[in-house]
Amino acid sequence: MNKTYQKKHELWLSTLFASFAINDETIKSRLYDFSQIAFRHMKWLGEQTLENGENYNYDRSMVLLKRNTVFEIIEALKNEIKAFHSFYPDNVLGKRIKTDDIYLLEYLSEVLSKEENNKEITAFNMQRKWEDRELEQSQIDALTLFLFDESYKEYELILIYAYMQARTKNILQFNVFQDLVDESHFHLKSFGNMMAKLGILALPRELHEMTYVVKDLDKFLVDGIAEEEAAKVMCKELSDAITDEKLSKFFDFINYQENYHIELMKKLL
Amino acid sequence: MFENVEMPEGLNAETLEHLINPKNYGKIEDADGVGVALDEKTNEYVVFYTDLNAEGIENTKFATNGCQDTVVIGSMFTDMIIGNDLEYAQKAIGKMHEKLGELSAQQQVCADIVFTAYIASLQNIENKEKGEEEEMHVLKMKDSCESVQKEGEGE
Repeated sequence: MNKTYQKKHELWLSTLFASFAINDETIKSRLYDFSQIAFRHMKWLGEQTLENGENYNYDRSMVLLKRNTVFEIIEALKNEIKAFHSFYPDNVLGKRIKTDDIYLLEYLSEVLSKEENNKEITAFNMQRKWEDRELEQSQIDALTLFLFDESYKEYELILIYAYMQARTKNILQFNVFQDLVDESHFHLKSFGNMMAKLGILALPRELHEMTYVVKDLDKFLVDGIAEEEAAKVMCKELSDAITDEKLSKFFDFINYQENYHIELMKKLL
Repeated sequence: MFENVEMPEGLNAETLEHLINPKNYGKIEDADGVGVALDEKTNEYVVFYTDLNAEGIENTKFATNGCQDTVVIGSMFTDMIIGNDLEYAQKAIGKMHEKLGELSAQQQVCADIVFTAYIASLQNIENKEKGEEEEMHVLKMKDSCESVQKEGEGE
């Protein structure tokens, strides 16, 4: 069952990062929706694994679908989805996942049928240019480092909170973990799309079990609050340093969101 | 032998490559030695896996929940030592320390946590050779990234 979970984890990431890589807003948005469905599949597979008295982990063995055109990414994603079909369990959940995947495959075929969708992919070109605006090199460097640090952090938080949520019987904890997972999904989406705009889209590195198997929740929360405080400082510094008003406002917005994360985490202490 | 080693100062193409595709990242199942360096204040860690053969370091991998500096240094360091003997690895630490002297205190802490995890993995091998049953060898860091950051803010 862990193998199925691992495959779904990989498919979630492949769909999510395909969404980040593609510039067309309609395709991007549809793929993002499908990636969220894949994340729920992963969550349900995890619950079923635990109900069966087994365990799962966050090991993965995948490479990012780095391609030059939209069609190449979509084709690669289609192949991945088809290859994963044999892994799903023969039960109600397995059937649900298969029908969702078949619908996604139909959507991908629809995209491939329209030649005008086949645009160039710029998410991996390493250009590090922010739209058509002029940012100083030091600002671009600061933004690059921030995005690498924070995209990993958000991915890490999604998986840690989901791991703890799957194992708690406490309703308050369950709800707070859900809020934090939802918030981190939004942040990861924002940062992933920004990395793609800069041409530096990359998968967050794999989580080691020392990171997500939390033995002391209180210590984890205290450390987590300190990390949120540090993220706030980074957002503020970036917002102050970046001359682009739109970007600066975005980092202020994220900064205020981190404030509330701290409140949510304090509820659990 | 280390003249061309570029340390992560500024974002050059090599550093970006290590950020995008960290080398030797992950774990080795049933590694000869597993070492962990732990910063108890921040709970930041580096875990280092080392496989040895008659010539020296056959393979290494590392993983961390730390910052990108730690990832870049871990990626560079593992890349330097694989396929070399233990003496070379020891010299690599010294040489990297020299170069890190030009960098921030925070980056030095990041480098130290990587080197300490490597040393812990060797200690784990030694302990197992002596017959000890030790899953991994853990070394606690003296300097914390958190205190270095606070000192920096206080300046």
